[in-house]
Amino acid sequence: MARQPLPHLSNWNLLPSNVSSLLRDLPIILAGLSLFYGVLSLTRYWTGPVNTQPEIQLHPGALPVYAMYSLARIMLAYLLSLIVTLVYGYVAAHNARAERILIPLLDTLQSIPVLSFLPPVMVAMVSLFPTRQLGVEMGAILLIFTGQVWNMTFSVYSAWKSIPRELQEAAQIYQLTWWQRFIQLELPYAAIGLVWNSMMSVAGGWFFLMACEMFVLGNRDLRLPGLGSYLQTAANAGDTGAILWGVFAMVLVIVLMDQIVWRPIIAWGEKFKMEQVEASQTPHSPVLNLLRRSRAIQVAFQKTVGPAREALTLYGARKHLSSHPVGGKHKLRQWIGLTLGAIASVGLLYAIFKMLVMLGAISGEELRGIFAGAGASFLRVEFTLVLAGLWTIPVGVYIGLRPRLSAIAQPIAQVAASIPATALFPIVLLFLIRVGGGLGVGSIVLLLLGTQWYVLFNVIAGASSIPTDLKEVCEVYRLTKSERWRRLYLPGVFPYLLTGFVTASGGAWNASIVAEYFRFHGQTYTTTGLGAVISRATDSGNFPVLLGATIVMAALVVTVNRLLWRRLYGLAATKYKLES
Amino acid sequence: MNPPRVDKLRAALSEGNWDRAIAMLQKVDPAVAADVFQEMPFDQQQILFRRLPLDFAAQLVAAFPYYHAYVLLHSRPVEELTAIVERMQPTDRIQFIEQLPEETWQHLMDELHAAPIAAEVEVPAPAPVVPAAPAEEPIIQARRVEKRFQRPDGASIQVIAPTDLSVDPGMILALLGPSGSGKSTLLRMLSGLAQPTAGEVLWRGKPFHEATPNVAIVFQSFALFPWLTVLENVEVPLLARGQEHSERHQRAIQALATVGLTGFENAYPKELSGGMKQRVGFARALAVEPEILFMDEPFSALDVLTAENLRNELLELWQGKRMPTKSIFLVTHNIEEAVLLADRIIVLGRNPAKIRADFRVPLTQPRDRNSAEFLLYVDYIYKLMTQPELEAGPSPAGREVKPRYQMLPHARSGSTAGLLELLNDRGGKDDIYHVADELQMEVDDLLPILEAVTLLGFAKADKGDVEITPEGKAFAEADIVARKHLFRDAALSHITLLQQMRKALESKSDHRMPLEFFRDVLDEHFSDPETQRQIETALNWGRYGDILSYQSESDEISLFEPHALDIAHEAREH
Repeated sequence: MARQPLPHLSNWNLLPSNVSSLLRDLPIILAGLSLFYGVLSLTRYWTGPVNTQPEIQLHPGALPVYAMYSLARIMLAYLLSLIVTLVYGYVAAHNARAERILIPLLDTLQSIPVLSFLPPVMVAMVSLFPTRQLGVEMGAILLIFTGQVWNMTFSVYSAWKSIPRELQEAAQIYQLTWWQRFIQLELPYAAIGLVWNSMMSVAGGWFFLMACEMFVLGNRDLRLPGLGSYLQTAANAGDTGAILWGVFAMVLVIVLMDQIVWRPIIAWGEKFKMEQVEASQTPHSPVLNLLRRSRAIQVAFQKTVGPAREALTLYGARKHLSSHPVGGKHKLRQWIGLTLGAIASVGLLYAIFKMLVMLGAISGEELRGIFAGAGASFLRVEFTLVLAGLWTIPVGVYIGLRPRLSAIAQPIAQVAASIPATALFPIVLLFLIRVGGGLGVGSIVLLLLGTQWYVLFNVIAGASSIPTDLKEVCEVYRLTKSERWRRLYLPGVFPYLLTGFVTASGGAWNASIVAEYFRFHGQTYTTTGLGAVISRATDSGNFPVLLGATIVMAALVVTVNRLLWRRLYGLAATKYKLES
Repeated sequence: MNPPRVDKLRAALSEGNWDRAIAMLQKVDPAVAADVFQEMPFDQQQILFRRLPLDFAAQLVAAFPYYHAYVLLHSRPVEELTAIVERMQPTDRIQFIEQLPEETWQHLMDELHAAPIAAEVEVPAPAPVVPAAPAEEPIIQARRVEKRFQRPDGASIQVIAPTDLSVDPGMILALLGPSGSGKSTLLRMLSGLAQPTAGEVLWRGKPFHEATPNVAIVFQSFALFPWLTVLENVEVPLLARGQEHSERHQRAIQALATVGLTGFENAYPKELSGGMKQRVGFARALAVEPEILFMDEPFSALDVLTAENLRNELLELWQGKRMPTKSIFLVTHNIEEAVLLADRIIVLGRNPAKIRADFRVPLTQPRDRNSAEFLLYVDYIYKLMTQPELEAGPSPAGREVKPRYQMLPHARSGSTAGLLELLNDRGGKDDIYHVADELQMEVDDLLPILEAVTLLGFAKADKGDVEITPEGKAFAEADIVARKHLFRDAALSHITLLQQMRKALESKSDHRMPLEFFRDVLDEHFSDPETQRQIETALNWGRYGDILSYQSESDEISLFEPHALDIAHEAREH
């Protein structure tokens, strides 16, 4: 980071002159070159004709290319999410009228399982861009985007709403311009929340990406070349070697992402903490240190970002100083807003009307099918959660109470949780079919795979944060084992357990879409459930049922969230909060 | 009274024509004379006072506020001082002496006894005639500013009553008031951060949005951007003014040098101590060269020593004219701080906020915390703040004010017991500022407790003293169980809210009620956060006095019944 640009030295003095600094900069230069090559080849691929029958090659040498394709999708979706997040969050935080609409909408969108849109979105995008590979790609990116954007937006919005009053007043009294306020106050204030939520979003993005890449609907093969389709093809062919290679590549990519991208960003984000005193333990990253010490980066920064920021801010300030607020402009803007609002409401009403007409076309039997599916999926998801809780609570508490053990177990659980469960579906399915089970049992195993890790590492975190003095109280008063569980361990881990369950519940609903309808070995495996109803309806082009089932699923999840999880959350935040 | 005569008197005074002025002063009513006299700058008041004949001086002294009279008296030699006090009317003299706090009274007595009484003295050698500088017009003028908060049901709650206030150049003005009295809101309206609900704020005679006011604020929480270095923080307002990099840098470094922070330019705020952080806040404010520097409790987040150090440095900068600021507007709840720094003090009353007193502090800097004059002012402000009936201004005539709902001070039952014990140990009566000093408490923390013990009838506050009542004495000497009974009796006979709660609960067959009901009742009288505080205090007192119990899960209160505890306990078990 350039803190203090050096004044007016000749450019050459700023460039690295000795060998050691050149060596230090080498990895960075190479990384830049390879990035350029990657972008070029991706562009060529995307603008090519549609790949009707994608050939997925199974030799390990093809893996880097597939990993790159997957990564590129994730990155593009993330970029899109970031832009939407900043715009949506800014409008919601600054415009009271927009806030009243945007925030409830955000809250609902956040809890809808995105994968229920997978079948219709993929089909729709392909028909939009029939001749280009771009269509399927856009579908995948759009889905990942809808999966990751909402929690990021929410974190940015709530950060902006909670900027301390005195900081805002300082900005006001010193007449900071719009731009200066954004760059020096608002963006930094939201940074930490944004970084953590970005991390979570991208992890979730892998989950959706894997599902998208291996998506086959009936006899329409919409697979995309990538890690997901590689794993699926390998499982399909029963090629154990390829499966292992694929899983290895997957884990490698995730671990590398963590080390090269997230760790440095988190360590860098430390400076945006609103703390009064410096924390004794701060996250640090060797990669960040490398970047910070690199002269090349410093020079590039001083030559580009520094002056650009200065010029932009000064431009903003001067414009702000010379302009005088005019009443008429405000009025005009109000008119435009009103007109746009009116048009939007009319459009919305029309859409609702059309939707109702379409829903009217659902036959009684289909309706019964939807509700039966909803019931089955609901039971399956909740059963999975109970199952996950049953083994993770005792194990998690056991580990969490032993600091040395949890130091080993915590990172393992974290890595396990970060492997997208959807990537493992074909492998588990392969195994299940060999054993002789159907998708009925299989889907529960699949769901469990996606949910248990969240719960486990949250329980470990909860148990290890139980204060020592409370444990000593149990010791002093000789509480029996069952009393300790009832009085301390369970209440102590409750808030953490809940966080784990809420995340897991969302994940399980999403996974249920993929887990209930899976094309494998040229054969479609299904079981009763809402996910299966949605996929089948998309396949047969039955739009009324597709619409109905999607609405039911969204409504179900939102209702459960509101009625169950949010109330429990309130309880956890008040009664079971362990304050030190 | 004769207005033309008063105008002539004013003219004579402003020309520095003392002899004529003295002659004219003697012709008008002493009360009017005292008013006109006090309008002058204090150094001129002293010059004039020194030249007054003793008899007339004695008349005038009786018409001054006692704290002002005391300070003016000391501008004459001790023997003349004694002579003037001797010549006062006996009733005036007794009243004057009685109002003085203990130390000051003692000091005065010592002086009076030591000095021989002078006969009529010849007027001392005439001081050079200094014509008074024409009074500069105020920088900020608030006219009938008022703040109301709209309630959802359409009614509005007044937090600041219509207030006139002006900030004149060349002085430090301190705004004092108990917590929740709206000091900060008033500061925000004067600085342009917040809009008054009614009335207007003028900057050099123009409405705020038409003028280009140049102000800065030093905040209680420092309000520094933690992600910017010290230097970048100071540069923030300069950047907003579109200054180029080099100019900005230079100004910021200069501001940092003024507050003694060179060498810390590249530090981040979290690396600094609280005092250092506030220095950065000062530097940031000084960098924009504000005409008025607003300070919102700038020292209250700091420890005692650091705060004292910073106060002295601020005074040094101000007196040495090393800051480009024309005037300082300081909001504080620390009485000593106000008397130490301010040239003029405004005391705010609460609910709604209104000016209760506005007076000058004519003591020379540096001020000695232990001097009789200093204590005189501290004591006077305590008196003002502890006696609601000691209203300075006339109450707004015309529209009838509906009777106020009794407002509970936000004090815990435990601290009231502590205060009573202390009072009892000290013989049952003491000066309030002594108590505050002993407990190392600021007025903000002490006042609610003091209000609580007076409200409960355990003590009486009068003229800056607090005295324990027989009930209070009994309470202080009782054991734990007996205290609860005494508290219960006192609370039920004095506290309206608790009486109402009890009556309502007794009338219900199951003796329980949702707390929401009482919140709604209070909402009609108080703002939301105040309602919350009222409820909290009532619950704390009610629970301590075994009057009621409260279940937070169901948000219900119920009548306290000793055996009910067991039932509730069993119910929770199953």
